[in-house]
Amino acid sequence: MRLFEVEALTVGITGSPFPILREVSFYVEPGEVLALVGESGSGKTMTALAAMGLLPFGIEMTGGDVRLGGDSLVRTGGTVERSAAQMSMIFQHPTSALNPTMRVGHQVGRVIQINQRLGRTQSLEAAVELLKHVGIPGAKRVARNFPHQLSGGMCQRVMIAMAVACQPRLLIADEPTTALDVTVQAQIFDLIKSLVSEIGCGVLFITHDLGAVAEMADRVAVMYGGQVMEESPVRDLLAEPRHPYTRYLLESVVREVDHRVEDIGVDFALTGCRFGHRCPYVHEKCNGFPPLVEISPSRRVSCFLKTEELR
Amino acid sequence: MTLLECRNIHKTYGHGVATVPAVRGVDMQLERGETLGLVGESGCGKTTLGRVIVGLNAPTSGKVVFDGEDVSGRLHEPEFRRRVQMVFQHPQSSLNPKFRVSTTLREPAILLTSMRNEELDQQIEQTLRLVGLGIEYQTRKPKQLSGGQLQRVAIARALMSSPDLIVLDEPTSSLDQSIRSRIIALLKDIQERRQVSYLFISHDLSTVRKIAHRVAVMYLGRIVEVSETEALFNDPQHPYTQALLSAVPSIDPDDRSERIILRGETPSPTALPVGCSFQDRCELVHARCRVEAPLLQETGPARHVECFAVQ
Repeated sequence: MRLFEVEALTVGITGSPFPILREVSFYVEPGEVLALVGESGSGKTMTALAAMGLLPFGIEMTGGDVRLGGDSLVRTGGTVERSAAQMSMIFQHPTSALNPTMRVGHQVGRVIQINQRLGRTQSLEAAVELLKHVGIPGAKRVARNFPHQLSGGMCQRVMIAMAVACQPRLLIADEPTTALDVTVQAQIFDLIKSLVSEIGCGVLFITHDLGAVAEMADRVAVMYGGQVMEESPVRDLLAEPRHPYTRYLLESVVREVDHRVEDIGVDFALTGCRFGHRCPYVHEKCNGFPPLVEISPSRRVSCFLKTEELR
Repeated sequence: MTLLECRNIHKTYGHGVATVPAVRGVDMQLERGETLGLVGESGCGKTTLGRVIVGLNAPTSGKVVFDGEDVSGRLHEPEFRRRVQMVFQHPQSSLNPKFRVSTTLREPAILLTSMRNEELDQQIEQTLRLVGLGIEYQTRKPKQLSGGQLQRVAIARALMSSPDLIVLDEPTSSLDQSIRSRIIALLKDIQERRQVSYLFISHDLSTVRKIAHRVAVMYLGRIVEVSETEALFNDPQHPYTQALLSAVPSIDPDDRSERIILRGETPSPTALPVGCSFQDRCELVHARCRVEAPLLQETGPARHVECFAVQ
């Protein structure tokens, strides 16, 4: 059974006919890392927020299903049940995601206190243990510090401690190292990997860095303009990208590009395939919405071109 | 021919007891038409060094020699300003939001050159075309442009006075991968046409590898290794460079070489250890490193390393 599954998730601004996320589908198996990769504005974070039931005011889920361990988390009216004890999230900017007025030990302690119904002193002790466990030297002293007294890497370790405090079944990591230096990033990746194998949870790993994908993920879902373009095991995707957008993305990392081609960035087509206006293979059919179709076991691509044509 | 030379540059912020030595004795040369990549992690002093070179900060001690002349005390002279320009990290905040693109480009030319009227309009059109924007962009304001387009405008502004040296402070770190590659290609193209030198400051090693002829690695205010780009990436010699390069996640899934994970955190620049500043995190540390600081010494052709173990 799949641990976590998002099916045809559609999210839009209340009253707008154009969805922000359009039929986003992917799944995570237990103990697996699925990377959600895409450029800014592609809807990676929005997907995570929708799955966590944390959509901002004015943005609502209009269709689709989110399932954890086979049970749907979607309640009537399109809200998603928050299940903090089973799903937890690491945010992008650790320094701003932590409460600046609370000592970090207490912040971690609160998570334990609320979710495991322990007393205040007990949970604080557990928090110190946890801080030690995520590799913070002098955990007892650091627990009494405020976030501003810690470096970015240390704050991210605190965030991770909070996220794993309740042994979640699914961990969502939203660009956990974007704000950090590469050597710190390597330390954090190492930590996440070891914690995941220890807890055995699934991970939804959100990033824009294809290097991080190759490093961390088992499978990848590539997003563009709120649409999943391709879902595939990481090796196959990097060796042989199928979707025209995936190719474009990989080429921009590896090859010399022509700088005279206009920058398009986050701009995408509102109707039809969202990559349509940039795609070299575009044809009339692309005015419709291409569904995510299985082209081989474990690979799905959202493109009207046939498998042979996509090779 | 050497265009820029830094001789034993020191820059210390603050007074009295609370001083932060941001740059601690940097010697460096930059040739005409060359790109020198300056890499290092946050807080290592790379931006401060860039600002000292363009004259935005006065060095505490040391000399900046530009084109054979000591310019340390002459940084406000228009002729030096004309020849040395800077591009900042966030184009959104370095461009005046109220200025149209044409006004933004006109300012440096009016202040620093004798160009007027038609000549100036021509220069604006020419520069816009050089950075890959059409002349129709002249009337736009920053909020009407994307991040990549804004950075092109910022580059155009730096080019307006036909400088010999442009200091680029993390020009691509706020951009998406595909746009980042284009900006790099653009900068290379401009260099070919105009023979301008770049000091390319970045923490992103893969970007630096694409553009720089030589790379200088900074750690805690000192350059620890300088070398030609490919030599540095293929055979890093300083233990810090080795760790830094090994921390960059590779896009190649077969490249699963053992990562060097650094111990602990970068020491605070306010409480530096005696001797080598990398000693507590170094695998090769021995007694001498704890009492004496190594100096940058030649270890091969065009290669300088600051480490006893290598020398």
